[in-house]
Order: sequence, then structure tokens, then C-alpha cells
Amino acid sequence: MWAYLNNLAVLITINAILAVTLNFVLGYAGIFSMAHAVFFGVGAYTATLVAMKLGAGFLLSTAAGMSVAAVISLALALPALRVRGEYFVAASLGLQMLAVTVFSEWKVVTGGIGGIGNIPPARFPGFEISSPLQYLLLCLACLSLVMLAIAVLVRSSFGRSLKAIRDDETAASAFGKNVAVIKTLAVAVSSALAAVAGSLYAFYLSFVNVESFTLDTSVYLMAMVIIGGTATLLGPLVGTILILLLPAALSYLPGLPQTEIGSIQQIIYGLAMVLLMIFRPGGLWGFRDQPKGGR
Amino acid sequence: MLLLQLLINGLQLGAIYALTAVGFALIFGSTKVFHVAHGAAFTLAGYLFWWSVNTQKWHWAVGLMIAIAVVVAFGLFMERCIYRPIQRHEGAFFTVFIAAFGMQIVVQNLVGTVFGRGFETVTVELSRAVELAPGLFVAPIAGLAIGVALVMFAALNLFLSRTQVGTGLRALADNPDLVRIFGLEPTRLAQVAFALGSALVVPAAAITVMTQGINPGIGAHIMLISLAATIVGGIGSLKGAAYGGMLLGIAESVAVWKLDPQWSEAVTFIILFVFIIFRPAGFLGRAQGAK
Repeated sequence: MWAYLNNLAVLITINAILAVTLNFVLGYAGIFSMAHAVFFGVGAYTATLVAMKLGAGFLLSTAAGMSVAAVISLALALPALRVRGEYFVAASLGLQMLAVTVFSEWKVVTGGIGGIGNIPPARFPGFEISSPLQYLLLCLACLSLVMLAIAVLVRSSFGRSLKAIRDDETAASAFGKNVAVIKTLAVAVSSALAAVAGSLYAFYLSFVNVESFTLDTSVYLMAMVIIGGTATLLGPLVGTILILLLPAALSYLPGLPQTEIGSIQQIIYGLAMVLLMIFRPGGLWGFRDQPKGGR
Repeated sequence: MLLLQLLINGLQLGAIYALTAVGFALIFGSTKVFHVAHGAAFTLAGYLFWWSVNTQKWHWAVGLMIAIAVVVAFGLFMERCIYRPIQRHEGAFFTVFIAAFGMQIVVQNLVGTVFGRGFETVTVELSRAVELAPGLFVAPIAGLAIGVALVMFAALNLFLSRTQVGTGLRALADNPDLVRIFGLEPTRLAQVAFALGSALVVPAAAITVMTQGINPGIGAHIMLISLAATIVGGIGSLKGAAYGGMLLGIAESVAVWKLDPQWSEAVTFIILFVFIIFRPAGFLGRAQGAK
């Protein structure tokens, strides 16, 4: 029982990091990315390779994952600079599909569909993280740091510029904001922080494969942010907990066939997305309908 | 010879993509609703056709009628009960997109729960390939797919240019306010757009069931293709969407000539990416991408 709860808590924390970083581009910058799982994956694969091939510790591997994710995020930033709204959604969907193909076909690096196993445990100078409880603490520490970083960024002048661009790009650029640089930085920051979650995930499971980084993951993450509430600090956290507890709660319901739980869960959050958009577009945690991504 | 074979396969696939993309473009162009649940309509149509013909042993025409009825009802339901309430208090693209996407997820899983998650096909005489030349296999259904697409487009074109409702739809695409001033009802016209756009999915879905087969996940794929084709062709242009669908179908098929089949979907998205970055207006678009 304890092991089960610990595992659930670790997964919630890792997903919360992803949801919070997705909310940074989606809620605050109005960049509607459907490709967040890509950076989760890039972080996981890079950290794995650096740890296994170079014998690096947690900090170095994570830093490597963050850098690679930030560089690859340019592939997302480029269309975000050119177009808004529906065009960008399509571009990010395209990036997500491309990435899945690369993850499953570039066998030398990613191990193909079989993935990479036997990842060594996370090492720090002086000690090694091995027990699940230690992993939970590490994940919580990372989540706190990520949330702190985002809270500071959102309140800074950078955050204000972002919101200005989200609400009216033309007006913001008329005020002398460098829209291109600010958007690119926002995407890079969000992707790099998402890579932290990838690194944690790889070390915790000591196994990665493409299954964890598909469009489904991106959709789950989007649902977490939307249901919780965009452009709020705690909303994505609420959404993550709700969505990850749902399957656990469903499995206790009597009379449900085990094979249908996945579908029923997806139907529930799909319906939740529809109903929320009709009655409460700001999400459960958000207030009224103030946040608008895209246009 | 392989290239010719792939080209013919691509034309058949392109006809299917073009039909769905034109339906999507018709809805998006005239109502400005980004109807991502279009893929869900495709899934519904395909499964209903399969269920009527294979499970119930009804005539294929009955299957088509049932599919059309349900899909049109689905389109009207989406417009009336989902998009209109959302647009009443806020027209944000984002909100409409999420709601439609949520619906797509619901339909995909409902279909999976009701009809099962395996690949389903309807076998007909038409889908049996004939060797036209050494190494060149063509099934009559390829011709049927292309023929149906051409007939549909011609009919749609006549409808839009010759009838009053069609003219109204084109007017709605250009200027909804002016439509209201002229005493036409934008909501009525929007319903027509949704009904027609959704119905266009049915032949495409039926042909897909008879050739490659479908599974519940196909809706997401179709949604992506419709989006990509509409953007590549140019948002706001039906002809563009048709060409876009054709181009993507042929590209996906011909890609197999040099690449492993797993990469064919990637080719679609590389094309989309190139268009978004270098020519966001598409090849026939009126609207500029960056607004």
C-alpha cells in the first residue's frame, strides 16, 4: 500500500512539473502547444544517454537534457513567431507526430520501440538516490524549484511582457517589446523545465520508451492544465491531481470491467473539457473567463 | 512501375483526404469554427457503415444512409449545443478548440467501447486488385474513390454558385454582419454548413472501410490530415483544401518509394511545417497567416 501511494505521488509530482511548465506557454504566453510531451521525451532520452554513456550524475544529466530541449524548442518557437491560433496548433501537432516517429525509429539513440532499460540510479556528489521515498523527495524538490522559477518569471517584467503579447501582440510590439525574442525565450524556458520532468522520470523508472511521449501524453497534459485552470499557478497542480487520481478512483468502483477503465477515464476527461469550456472556460481553479490563448 | 503503383495508391488516398478536408474547410470557412471534431464524424461514419454492412448484413446503400443521418445529426448537435453556447459568451478560438477536442476524445473512446478496438474492414468485390500491367495492381475502388470525389466537388460547386443557400454560405464566409443586414439568418446558414461538411465525410469513410480498414484511433489521424490539408491549400479556399488533401495523400504514398513506411506520416508533417514557415497563406489562401 505504502509503495503504491509513493509511486502515485512520484508520478503526480512529475506530471505536475509538466503541467506547470505547459501552463507557462499556454496560459501566460498564449502559445497553444500540443507538443509538450516532446520535450518531456527529449529530457528523458538525453539524461539517460548522458548518464549511461558518460557516467554522469543527476545534475549533469538533467542540465544536458534541459539544454537539448531548449535547442529543439526552436522548432516550436519558429512557427509560433510566424503564425498564431489554429495554424500554430497544427504546427505543434505536426512536431509531436514527427517526434514520435523519430523516437521510435532512431534506434541507435532511443532504442526504438523497445526503449532503453537499466538506467543507473540518480547520483549526486557524495550519495546515491535509491529508495522510492528519496525519489519522491527529489521530485518534490524539483517541482518546488520549477514552480518558484515560474512564479518569479510571471511576476517579473518578462512575465508582464508575455501577458501583454498574449492579449495584444500588435500593441505590445508598438510599446517596444521585442515580440520574437520574448516568445522564443518563453518557449525555451518552458521546454527546458519540462526536460527536468523527463530526467526525473527516466531515473525513477530506470526505463524509457516512446510510449510515454506520444500525442496521448500531450493531450493528458493539456487536459490537466485546462481542467485545473490556465494562467493560474495552482490550477495545473489541481488538474494533475484530479486526472491522475481518476483511474485509481475508478478501479475501486464495483462492476466496471478492467479493460474499459482507460476508455471511461478518457471519456470523463473529454466530457469535462467540453462542459468546462461551455460553462467555465477559466478552469476549476481559475476565475471566470479571463484567460485567452490564441484568439 | 513501383512509382506508378504508389502514385495510383496516392490518388486514391488523396481523394479520401480531399473529401474530408473540403468538409472541414467548408465548415471553417463559412462559420469560422475550428471543427476539430470532424475526425470524430469520420470515425462514426466508418463504424456505422461497417456495422450495417458486416454485422447487420444490410445493403450498402442502407449503411450509407444510416451513416449520413447520424453524421449530419452529430454535426448539427455540435453546432447547436457546443459551439453556439461557447460563442455566445466568448468567441475565443482556444475555447472552441478545447471543446471540440474533448468531443473527439469522447467519441473515439465511446466507439472503442461499443464496437471494439481492432481493425475492421468490409470486404467487397470492388476492393479486389486486378493486375493491369506486370507488377501494377489496381482495384476498381481506386477509380470509384476518385470518381466519387470529383462528382461530390462538382455538386458542391454547383450548389455554392447556383442556389440561394449556397450563395448565402459564401456570403457568410466573407462577411457575417452583411448577411444579417440582408435578412438572412447566419445561424441557419451555419447549420447548413455543418450538415453538408459532415455529410462529405461519409463517402470518404465508407471507402476507407472498404480499403485500409478503420480503428477508433483513425479520427485523430483524419483530423490532423484535414487540418494540414486546409492549411497547405490555404485557409478559406475549398479548392485549396481539395488540392491540399490530394497533395498530402500522394506524398504519403510516394514517400514509401524511398523511405520506410513508418516515415510516411512524418512526410505529411514536414510538408505542413514547410508551408507554415515559408508560406502560411497556403497555395490558394486569401487570408494571411500572421494576424
